[in-house]
Amino acid sequence: MNSPLAHRVSAKAPVKLFLRSSVVVFLALGCVVYRVPAEEYLVTSGAPGKYGGDLVVAERSEPKTLNPVMAVENVSREVIGLLMADLIHINRYSQQTEPALARSVDVSSDGRRYVVHLRQGVKFSDGYPFSAEDVLFTFQVYLDPKVDAPQRDLLTIAGKPVLVRKVDSDTVLFEFAQPYGPGERVFDSVYILPRHLLLRPYTEGKLNDSWDLKVAPAAIAGLGPFRFREYVPGQRLVLERNPYYWKQDARGQRLPYVNKVILEYTGSEDAEVLRFENGGADVVSRLSARNFDALAQRRNPSEILIDAGPSLEYNFLFFNLNDLSTKNLRHIESKQAWFRDVRFRQAISSAIDREAIVRLVYAGRATAIWSQVTPGSKLWRSANVVSSPRSVGKARTLLASAGFSWNQAHKLIDSSGRPVEFSIITPVNNSERVQMLTVIQQDLEEIGIDVHIVTLELRTMLSRITTTLDYDACLIGLATGDADPGSEMSLWPSGASAHFWEVRPTAPPPLWQIEIDRLMTAQMSSNDPRERKRLYDRVQELVAVNLPIIPVVSPDVLAGSKAGLRNFKPAVLLPYVLWNADELFWGARQ
Amino acid sequence: MIRGKSAIACGVLASIHGLALVANFAAPYSFAAQQREFAWAPPTSVHWLDRHGHFHWRPFVYGTNGADESRMYPLRFFVRGASYRFAGLFPSSRHLFGVDAPGVLFLLGTDGFGRDQFSRLLAGSRISLTAGWLAAILSLALGTVLGGMAGYYGGWLDDLIMRMSEISLALPWLYLLLAGRAFLPLDAPSSMAYLILISVVGILGWARPARLIRGLALSLRERGYVLAARTFGASGPYLLRTHILPDAAPVLLTQMALLAPQYIMAEVTLSFLGLGIDEPVPSWGNMLAGVQHYHVLTSSWWMLLPGIAPAVVALCCFTIADALAGRRGVVPL
Amino acid sequence: MIRFAVRRIFHAAVLLVLISLCSFALLQLAPGDYVDAMRLDVSISPGTAAALRSRYGLDRSLPSRYFSWWRSVVRGEFGVSFAYGMPVGSLLWPRMKNTLLLAAIAAIGSWFIGILLGIATAITPSRVLEHVIRSVMSALLSTPDVLIGLALLLLAVRTGLFPIGGMGLIDSGSTSARARDVAAHLVLPVTALVLISVPVLVRYVEAAVRDALRSPFIQAARAHGIAPWRILTGYALPAAANPLISLFGYSIGGLVSSSLLVEVIMGWPGLGSLLLESIFSRDVHVVIGATLVSALFLITGNLIADLLLYATDPRIRVER
Repeated sequence: MNSPLAHRVSAKAPVKLFLRSSVVVFLALGCVVYRVPAEEYLVTSGAPGKYGGDLVVAERSEPKTLNPVMAVENVSREVIGLLMADLIHINRYSQQTEPALARSVDVSSDGRRYVVHLRQGVKFSDGYPFSAEDVLFTFQVYLDPKVDAPQRDLLTIAGKPVLVRKVDSDTVLFEFAQPYGPGERVFDSVYILPRHLLLRPYTEGKLNDSWDLKVAPAAIAGLGPFRFREYVPGQRLVLERNPYYWKQDARGQRLPYVNKVILEYTGSEDAEVLRFENGGADVVSRLSARNFDALAQRRNPSEILIDAGPSLEYNFLFFNLNDLSTKNLRHIESKQAWFRDVRFRQAISSAIDREAIVRLVYAGRATAIWSQVTPGSKLWRSANVVSSPRSVGKARTLLASAGFSWNQAHKLIDSSGRPVEFSIITPVNNSERVQMLTVIQQDLEEIGIDVHIVTLELRTMLSRITTTLDYDACLIGLATGDADPGSEMSLWPSGASAHFWEVRPTAPPPLWQIEIDRLMTAQMSSNDPRERKRLYDRVQELVAVNLPIIPVVSPDVLAGSKAGLRNFKPAVLLPYVLWNADELFWGARQ
Repeated sequence: MIRGKSAIACGVLASIHGLALVANFAAPYSFAAQQREFAWAPPTSVHWLDRHGHFHWRPFVYGTNGADESRMYPLRFFVRGASYRFAGLFPSSRHLFGVDAPGVLFLLGTDGFGRDQFSRLLAGSRISLTAGWLAAILSLALGTVLGGMAGYYGGWLDDLIMRMSEISLALPWLYLLLAGRAFLPLDAPSSMAYLILISVVGILGWARPARLIRGLALSLRERGYVLAARTFGASGPYLLRTHILPDAAPVLLTQMALLAPQYIMAEVTLSFLGLGIDEPVPSWGNMLAGVQHYHVLTSSWWMLLPGIAPAVVALCCFTIADALAGRRGVVPL
Repeated sequence: MIRFAVRRIFHAAVLLVLISLCSFALLQLAPGDYVDAMRLDVSISPGTAAALRSRYGLDRSLPSRYFSWWRSVVRGEFGVSFAYGMPVGSLLWPRMKNTLLLAAIAAIGSWFIGILLGIATAITPSRVLEHVIRSVMSALLSTPDVLIGLALLLLAVRTGLFPIGGMGLIDSGSTSARARDVAAHLVLPVTALVLISVPVLVRYVEAAVRDALRSPFIQAARAHGIAPWRILTGYALPAAANPLISLFGYSIGGLVSSSLLVEVIMGWPGLGSLLLESIFSRDVHVVIGATLVSALFLITGNLIADLLLYATDPRIRVER
């Protein structure tokens, strides 16, 4: 102790000693009062990898915004999913929930209260600490009527918004108005917003205008595996690794592995494939069946192509079953006598050669379906829905029993002698559906029905089926983001927003529709998974027998990557290939 | 004068149009007939020498589109096939040539549904040629009237018409065309809907020929005989009808020969963008539009062959236009 | 001439206003709007869609929306894109630069090649060469633009020599490395554009040069014994330049719009591909903004053509 301090201390030793020890005491007290929390990680189960390299993903359209409240299309949602994290996440591969930012969740016995214990020591991508305050702020924003977030409807149960209360700095309580069928799945994709960056815009009413693509990287932060780096208009979006990400692999390495994710905008699916073939992209997803086949036939050893099996998308044909009494659409009303007869619809379903569609349009990479739940939804598919192969004989029998017959020219005529012909509209931008209709047109000609195919631009078609109701039949495809029947609530109950075939229902509704309404409402408020499955199975059976829609096929999820990319496991829920972007790493190359 | 190269061009054009008229007869199959087991089949090879080296006067094909060499199907003329209406009038089921079932003859291969591309090319020529000529006539007619008026009267009318032409060139008509199908009743046959669409495209294209006709009218109105007629009290419309337009006739004919192929190619572009005629009716445009898909571009090269048809028509028209323009040798477009 | 120019500039301003008005009205005619497509997204409720519609003003009347748009124009924003949530001006500007880069380089290339080939065809004594050039140009002219683009794409895929799509602009590396990258990405689209426009140019140039060579004063010059090369460069070409000048003006006019198809096929991030995408998604403010930009170029091109013609051709001045 030769420091000059030593002399001074010895001069006024007692005072200095007192001061120093009180500082120490205060510090100790402070540590007791405010513990710097140790960082808690989520340990992933994927194969541990190594760091390095960039991932270039080909996208057919540009993301439009980075604001979770304003994102309404899939590419934007995909990017935001890379930048942000939710409390509880649905694993896209297993389709089950797993904890994310929440370390654990305690559910009350009546299924109405969720006590969420947050992971501790987590930091945002700019280093700022995460706490329950951010969760409260997030839900306040999403539930605010002035913000009009799409998440608000998902968080409104039985007409009442979810109640959010802070219990302590890392525990939050959520309370639903009634038991909620999907349960904790509701928290998936409800991304936690950074209070320290968004509080000011929110109080100024400018939250909806924040975080567009011109945002400065320092003004945006999230809890996801990557953070925003650069946007080059019309070309690419560059994301870089989040150094504060709260997940690590089994070897204790902090995820993600890759340094950058570069989303290259290409304009169309064919352009994506060209870019992939040319080496300009490492990953492509949502390939069409024919392009997938063409790539597979080239047997390029530097490419891995994966068919992940049937997706959740179902393509279906439906007829105009609306009440047209107040509209001046006589020519369609007279055809509705045919459309409303269930035997007519069953005959059409019987006459469609689904196997030919799978073979010709999708090169075998699709599945014929007879209900709205595809084989991709492993947990919810009813075993009671019978798959009936194409039978022209059965179609003819059904039609004959419904009062139809055939004239000299082998054309189908109804009981009053009118030849049966109608048009089917479909959006022009999906060539596979147009091809499907070409097959269906030929199939129905075999039983004497003349079908006209009319391709319309998407919005004019939507205007016809939702507003003017001036159409005979329509072929579209829908895909819900989650396999859970909760996402189908906007389709099946009469009066629901996507209940396209009967936007204006006839009164009284048929018995099976009333039954479907009852079953759907019941499964939403039950928290017994077996009970929900039983109820939803019944819905599927009713749909398959009464055919308000005629399901046709469900395409497979097809994706490709460059060889050397490990942990590449395309799933059938969106986002198909980037759902585990934090686990992807380069084995051999890069 | 029409001679030499232009005579050949006229001949080729006449035969293409003739084929289009009797498309159903000349084609071995119906354009909508799907032979699903032969989807994406390459063109059938036609042989004169069999595998033993014997020469046959009558060409033949092997079974299963060339795969099965044990079966030979000779080419026959006036075969029985799918029934149709000859020139839309009387029913018939004879086709110019073909092979007996179960042999197949796909001269240009098949598409994804097993439909014979050659038959579709012939059937598609009806739509494409009609569309091209219709749009060209409408465009030229409107352009002549407006351009003639602008050039002859000059002054504020000229200014007005020229500015209108600039507006009509600038407006985003594609937006409306995309939604255009919405305005027509759903049960209107797709060919009629499509021709209405093309007519609209033709009418909208009045601006370019108008400019040319305006220049022509400007120069013609200063000609001696026109001035003389004016001093005699001839009115504007009379002069336009009797003196100016007849002199402009060669230019107009040349323009027709130039515009028609341009509109046929515009039809290809429109089909590419999704404005083509609906299935199952073929047109050259929607047959080529399928080539933008990666798998077609790289695996099914025969789908590019229908592109020869509009190219040949264009080449013939341009040759005729050059000949019509006379000794100058080339014609500015 | 100044009076002429001023009058035309005034016309141009009025025209642009009229085009904006007509475009607004035209876009209303098509049924449906941007928000409609959300009906197919089951996670967005009708309430949210309606709120979005009123946020973008799509439920207001046409005149009211038009006046809001004008207010936005005055602020320099030119409306807001529904899809991107950004002002249209900042969306269009980078894309316009990309299109201008592509179109300008393609124009320089096609004019250069077109003039060379046109003069060569007109003056060459070899019938074979003349025939060859004419046939190749005719074949190119007859091929649909779409096919030219697709054929080039196929070539690129098979040979792997050139990058497909995008513009390069890697964010790391020196300026010269980035310039080389952009140049590599320019090869395909520029080649397509040149192949599409050269045949027409060659026709015009050949016709003009031939006409000039046949005129009496050239005959006189030849009779005077002036060397053929001097005749060509000193007398014939300047005379031939006249009809080409208006063509040049129209070239400028079509600079922004002619590359639309090639941009779409080749994936070049320009105004054309943005316009097409906005048309398909009904993003009306972007469509109007892009329309006004191409209209501006069109009108300016026509104006330049007329002015140049006026300035260079004494015959027109005398007539007027």
